[in-house]
Amino acid sequence: MPITETQEKDPLENSDAPMVRIENVSRRFSIDGGKTSVMALKNVSNQIGRGEVVVIIGPSGSGKSTLLRTLNGLEGIDEGNIVIDGVDICSKTTCMNTLRTEVGMVFQHFNLFENKTCLENIVLPQTVVLKRQRQEAEEVARKLLERVGIPDRENNYPRQLSGGQQQRVAIARALAMKPKMMLFDEATSALDPETVSGVLDLMKQLAREGMTMAVVTHEMGFAREVADRVIFMDQGEVVEEGEPDAFFDSPRSDRAQRFLEQII
Amino acid sequence: MEWFIDKWQVIDSLSPFLMKGLWLTFKVSMVSIILGSILGSVLGIVKTLKWSIPRALVGGYVHLFRGTPYLVQIYIIYFVLPSLDVTWLKFDSYTAAIVSLSLYTASYVTAIVESAIRAVPRGQEEAARSCGMSKAQALYHIILPQAFKLTVPPMASIYVIVIKSTAVLSVIGISELTRQGETAILRMPGDTMFIYLLIAILYFVYCYPMLKFAGWAESKVKANGGNAVL
Ligand SMILES: Nc1ncnc2c1ncn2[C@@H]1O[C@H](COP(=O)(O)OP(=O)(O)OP(=O)(O)O)[C@@H](O)[C@H]1O
Ligand SMILES: [Mg+2]
Repeated sequence: MPITETQEKDPLENSDAPMVRIENVSRRFSIDGGKTSVMALKNVSNQIGRGEVVVIIGPSGSGKSTLLRTLNGLEGIDEGNIVIDGVDICSKTTCMNTLRTEVGMVFQHFNLFENKTCLENIVLPQTVVLKRQRQEAEEVARKLLERVGIPDRENNYPRQLSGGQQQRVAIARALAMKPKMMLFDEATSALDPETVSGVLDLMKQLAREGMTMAVVTHEMGFAREVADRVIFMDQGEVVEEGEPDAFFDSPRSDRAQRFLEQII
Repeated sequence: MEWFIDKWQVIDSLSPFLMKGLWLTFKVSMVSIILGSILGSVLGIVKTLKWSIPRALVGGYVHLFRGTPYLVQIYIIYFVLPSLDVTWLKFDSYTAAIVSLSLYTASYVTAIVESAIRAVPRGQEEAARSCGMSKAQALYHIILPQAFKLTVPPMASIYVIVIKSTAVLSVIGISELTRQGETAILRMPGDTMFIYLLIAILYFVYCYPMLKFAGWAESKVKANGGNAVL
């Protein structure tokens, strides 16, 4: 059974245009009170096609999370341009709240609403943001909970669930908004080893159903199996990218070679 | 036995006055606590927003009111402000009491609410915004409900301090509990100690449930890792 409902294609939509266009994006953070700064992203350009699954890897501090977070505007950018499904997200007239419903985000630490039950976690954004009727929102939520594999925990609070279960609810919460694409920032890094595979399977299923995905992960097996393309970042730059098999078997850059040696 | 009868007569003849004083203490403190909590909650939220000028103004206000004794504040509001010759700053003593005590309460509540909001993990707001909620929706549905639970224990302690601070109001002629006691002492100077004891007991009776509640709420919040279901 599919997790997502097949989206109706807008006949006017140009399906050749990429889902995401990142053009010369830079992001600087000032640290210790503005005395120094780090370039978390240096002139990054890239594209993500419709239905494409891109896995972003790289050493700690290389800017992976920052890149992902700029895609739904959680992080602003200093220079460059980002266009998502034809919408320039840097334009003053773009409604970021609407954009964020179209770009779902899954976090390393789940970030379920602690003051809401599982069901409410999924219902609330639908009623508040999409103005769905409560009954409809509950139906959507129950269907999603069933499909992510925890139909019987709807009245539990997040703290009563295991990490893996919480992450499933978080994925369901994002999917309830019917996003055009999904961002995963180390979605399995905080999980116990035995619950990792379940969440990864869920992500694989999403990928098979044609969801456009940008995934930051340390799971190289997942990258090899699911990714259409791997992007390797270091020090705020995209150093190398390519098909997973080619990238993992014979990385071209020194930095990617060194990184892969370290983690394997 | 004679001692008891003697003291009972003191209690009997003073109780209408002391009760009147306690009632006034209760009214003034409750009104100030309610107004101060509302004002402080709003200012506490403002303090966490990105508007730098309002934030700085609120910060100055909090420092000013928390860094000076309440006695000095009431003097300034009741005796100094009217001399500025601004009509709406000429308070009668009751209004001056409410205004000063509310501002005093709000300065503490502001700090409590601000730190409670900051104590809610950042990820909660990020998740809410990621679902498309506006800043206001995220505050209302996600952040404030969680922050509110964290404010309960410190808020109760502040309320106790505010209740006790009403004793200072006797200096501007509010006949609250302490003032009533002092008047009674003028009438019965032989029972000074006993009358102060009575006053202390009455304050304690008013404050104790609040202290108990603060302790209970604190244990509740701790037991749930900061997310009490109160
Ligand atoms: N809010 C921030 N304030 C200051 N510096 C930041 C902030 N966010 C990120 N940085 C800095 O930007 C750089 C990139 O960080 P980012 O979190 O994107 O790295 P990452 O690749 O996701 O690392 P990890 O694998 O450890 O999650 C780092 O040097 C980091 O210290
Ligand atoms: Mg990261």
